[in-house]
Amino acid sequence: MIVDIFNEIVSILSYVIPVMVALLIVSLGGLFSERSGVINIALEGIMVMGGFVGAMSMYLMLYIIGLPIQLAVFLAFIVGALVGAGFSFFHAFASVSMQSNQIISATALNLFATALGLFVARTFFGYRRINVDESYRFDVPFLSEIPILGDLLFKNAFLSTYIGIVLLIVVIVILYKTRFGLRLRSCGENPHAADSLGVDVGRMRYAGVMISGLLAGLGGVVFMIAFQNRFESDVRGFGFLALALLISGQWRPQRIFLISILFALMRVVASRGDSIMGLRALEVPTDFFRMLPYILTLVVLAFTSKHSRAPEAIGEPYDTGKR
Amino acid sequence: MKLGKLLDKVLLAISRRPNSIDVISSFTAVIFGLLFGFIVMLIINPGAAPQGLATIIFGPFQRGMRGIGDTIFYAVPIIFTGLSVAFAFRTGLFNIGAAGQMFIGSFVAVYIGINWGFLGPFHWPVAVLGAMLAGGVWGAIPGLLKAFRNVHEVVSSIMLNYVAVHLVSILIRSQIYDSARGRAYSVESTSHMPTWFLSDIFPRSSINIGFFLAILAVIIVHIVLNRTAFGYELKSVGFNRDAARYAGMNEKRNIILSFTIAGLLSGIAGALVYLRPGISMATAEVPPEAGFTGIAIALLGLSAPVGVLVAGLFYGLIDRGGYFAQSLFREEIVSIIIAVIIYFSALSLFTKHLIAKFIRRRVKRDVELQESKGEIK
Amino acid sequence: MEHAIEMLNITKEFPGIKANDNVSLRVRKGEIHALLGENGAGKTTLMSILFGLYRADEGEIRLNGERVHIRNPNDANDYGIGMVHQHFKLVNRFTVAENIVLGAEDTRRGFLVYDKAIARIKELSEKYKLNIDPYARVRDISVGHQQRVEILKMLYRDAEILILDEPTASLTPQEIDELMGILQTLSDEGKSVVFITHKLEEIRRVADRVTILRDGEQVGTVEVAETSNEELAKMMVGREVVFRIDKTHAVGDQPVLEAENLRVYSHTFRKDVVRDVSFDVRAGEILVIAGIEGNGQSELIYGLVGLNPLTHGRIRLNGEDITNSSIRERSLHGISHIPEDRQRHGLILDFPLEYNMILQSYFQPPFQHRGFLQFDQIRNHTQRLIENFDVRSSSGPTSLARSLSGGNQQKAILAREIDRNNNLLIAVQPTRGLDVGAIESIHKHLIAERDDNKAVLIVSYDLNEVFTLADRILVIYEGQNVGILDPRETTESELGLYMSGSKRADAA
Repeated sequence: MIVDIFNEIVSILSYVIPVMVALLIVSLGGLFSERSGVINIALEGIMVMGGFVGAMSMYLMLYIIGLPIQLAVFLAFIVGALVGAGFSFFHAFASVSMQSNQIISATALNLFATALGLFVARTFFGYRRINVDESYRFDVPFLSEIPILGDLLFKNAFLSTYIGIVLLIVVIVILYKTRFGLRLRSCGENPHAADSLGVDVGRMRYAGVMISGLLAGLGGVVFMIAFQNRFESDVRGFGFLALALLISGQWRPQRIFLISILFALMRVVASRGDSIMGLRALEVPTDFFRMLPYILTLVVLAFTSKHSRAPEAIGEPYDTGKR
Repeated sequence: MKLGKLLDKVLLAISRRPNSIDVISSFTAVIFGLLFGFIVMLIINPGAAPQGLATIIFGPFQRGMRGIGDTIFYAVPIIFTGLSVAFAFRTGLFNIGAAGQMFIGSFVAVYIGINWGFLGPFHWPVAVLGAMLAGGVWGAIPGLLKAFRNVHEVVSSIMLNYVAVHLVSILIRSQIYDSARGRAYSVESTSHMPTWFLSDIFPRSSINIGFFLAILAVIIVHIVLNRTAFGYELKSVGFNRDAARYAGMNEKRNIILSFTIAGLLSGIAGALVYLRPGISMATAEVPPEAGFTGIAIALLGLSAPVGVLVAGLFYGLIDRGGYFAQSLFREEIVSIIIAVIIYFSALSLFTKHLIAKFIRRRVKRDVELQESKGEIK
Repeated sequence: MEHAIEMLNITKEFPGIKANDNVSLRVRKGEIHALLGENGAGKTTLMSILFGLYRADEGEIRLNGERVHIRNPNDANDYGIGMVHQHFKLVNRFTVAENIVLGAEDTRRGFLVYDKAIARIKELSEKYKLNIDPYARVRDISVGHQQRVEILKMLYRDAEILILDEPTASLTPQEIDELMGILQTLSDEGKSVVFITHKLEEIRRVADRVTILRDGEQVGTVEVAETSNEELAKMMVGREVVFRIDKTHAVGDQPVLEAENLRVYSHTFRKDVVRDVSFDVRAGEILVIAGIEGNGQSELIYGLVGLNPLTHGRIRLNGEDITNSSIRERSLHGISHIPEDRQRHGLILDFPLEYNMILQSYFQPPFQHRGFLQFDQIRNHTQRLIENFDVRSSSGPTSLARSLSGGNQQKAILAREIDRNNNLLIAVQPTRGLDVGAIESIHKHLIAERDDNKAVLIVSYDLNEVFTLADRILVIYEGQNVGILDPRETTESELGLYMSGSKRADAA
């Protein structure tokens, strides 16, 4: 009995962890942009773009060049991240250099990414998707032999899981322990203060947006590999879910990490609820669990907006001429 | 030299009508969008690109009245979401939630369309009305959150879009699901939008009286915004919440009303998509694109109801054009063009300043020149 | 004598206005130098040039005799120039230490370290008696302390020249005293201080010399000890300062507004900033509320017109209780209100002038009929007000409110508020930032209202204005009524004592 429950938990977690990691990576990306003062609702589009180009490069590496799977995955991560950073440049250009409306610019990016992904997939592959259906899980040698922990973390694992964990730590360190992090946060809180002390607000915000693109692009590939095994023109609102996570986590990485577990669990329950003991009996529609994170975020918004921890200058273009 | 003079004359005329700078910037965005689409087509298939572009822009006309009828038909829902976004813009709000409001409206319309056949001739009007009200209720939520909890409407609307997507999916599965086909049942023919004489003018096209509803909505929104005390109040709150409060207006109520009205308009859009033959509603994982296209249309139409009508028809044109150009290029090329247009609309808020500055400099020089000549006399 | 700063023949033009016209400023090393002038005289522009925010069209800057080019604030920092802006440039969520080191952080192996910085901050804080805790979050400390953090920021960067832009505007009297002490210490330690002000009292307390600007031009530089306040005032405004203009004294009879024990809460300060204030305003008189800015006057008025709720107290208008009435009900009962912030409350800048003239009456006939606005009526109404009140604009009723000058914006609000059928006219700082011509015209209109047997309530921070207009003066200090005075029996210095809290009427 106990063994059954344990196995059940391990099997649920083996689904939860990859989803959590994908969410976490994208949400941490959003964190950089928003902490620098630029709203980034283009996470969805950037993910699509990263996932799309990542899928194409995977296709190329696996089926045309014939690289080993994990190497191809690693390279696809890099490709997706770079594409994401490049694509997010357009958001940075519009919102930082042109002081445009950040919502409109991001909406354009979201529509563009989906349209381009579909267009290219259909033009070159004939379908609405790019298939790269492989088994991406692997056992880490030796470590997977450790009891319990080995089963949880090192058996049947995705490469992305380790990248995600490392990223979480790196992000916390960068944001709170380095000069760059301090300056970045100051631009999101009070760009006038930052500017008056010689911090280049424009450059910081470009950096913030493009790092968010880097991570969201990477997240797009992670999502494609860990969740779908193929690229399918959209990422099922995952980018917006990451945004919801960012807000629910009140723009702080530690909280984002904790809530990402909850959000990922809901998502897994939604898609694999049937296979989880006990849930079948409840007969709750799976979409209910997909909806929950958004409702939770609305509740958080309604109860924190008066004392919100959002960066104070978020969404405000900074005009050096007006200081 | 002569060309320069002509340019100056044009610029002078423009500078007298500040609105025309906005019109120019809208055109610029459209041109950039088409240009970008053309470049993409050139990359994919250089030989077919000119024909592709031509088909996208003129294709519907080549198909005669049917093409024009379809252009109008596909423009109508977008005109409604465009009006919804524009109405919110004019009252100082950003309605990125049109997609969700529309989806909720679609469900209610389809639900009524399937189940309430007993209504007979009142079937379709009730379905439209129901969708409208549902959209309004959904739209009121971000309004309430903003008015009472100070929640930014963009963030709450994004969340509500996804709540709507999943909620509607639950409702479709539990209420109107045809498990044989994996989607909702088709609506009764009594709930189809009537075509009246339009089917005679535009034979074999999908056009229906939704177009008249759109024109009516354009006129009503125009009048409410520009002619009534109510519209004055809504705009006052939109432009300056503090001043509106100072003047004794109830700014909370007005925010909620603005959002509700925006929701009503999106709800109608949702109804018009499904109240017709040959389509049935499916569950979804992302909000309908038409909600976001509405943002493009509102921007291009400069948030003016008549502008939205024109921009919406333009959208219908290239949307159908993209459909007709499918043999050459996949129709997503149109979405790419629309996305680029939105992007340049976002930039245009800035480029407008540049245009204005350029004009001012030239006109000023012109005036000074004239003045100095006057002195010599 | 060695000059720390020499700004020679500075000219700076903005579109349509010459902000500085051939201005020269010389500041000696270790001196406290005041820069005096009315609003719009060009003080802030001149200092912004020194700090590298603007570049002068003409003229040169010398520091310790050497010619320098200051292209941006970073250059200014490098030359040892620091500036405390009127609006502090602080990150509220950061600690004091983080705010201070931002832009000049110490790192060890790429990671931030604060130990040296904190030791230095403590040392500076002690030396200049600033009493600052480097670990405190900025949002948790008082405005006065925030200002000291700004000063510390400059000292941390080894600034030798400190510029302060109207440093006392938002401080309490005690904080002002402490600031003056700090400035003195700075100067004793050899720092040169330039501070911008239009308050003569402050200049007399700490400044060694003062340079006076008027309309962008330099009027002169004088030793404070060798001039009187009257002379300074004259130089500042450019005419003999008339403390009394022709106005008959009026005694009101019937009370129009009666306020009893008002308490008003401020969200900014998270406390009641108006505490048990009672007074009345009578028909045919002007009651002026005098006091130093920030003693609860704004909130008192917000409470009276309904913009802020009262935590306690009662308001009666013409004998009727309006304590719980909405803003609109109060307005319909006859309260007109010329608000303190004309751009935030008074006007909708993106509306044409004519729309602004019906801000409170758009729903009433003749402007509204069956729900529709009556544009002819609105146009005629606006035209009439424009003519009667001499509101100047580029294209009359259709000009955007934004395009009007400050004076004309204020005249437009005045026109709208006076024209409405009111019993009580409330005006907060009706002439702030306006030129002399506009001030006179507005004062005349206000007095005419009184002569028309209206009750007029004015809030002013300007002693001149207080004495020009008042039939009675109510002095407010720290949110309390500290005395109701008769202007005929009160001198300016006596009023100053009330305003600074050093004197209060017993039976207030």
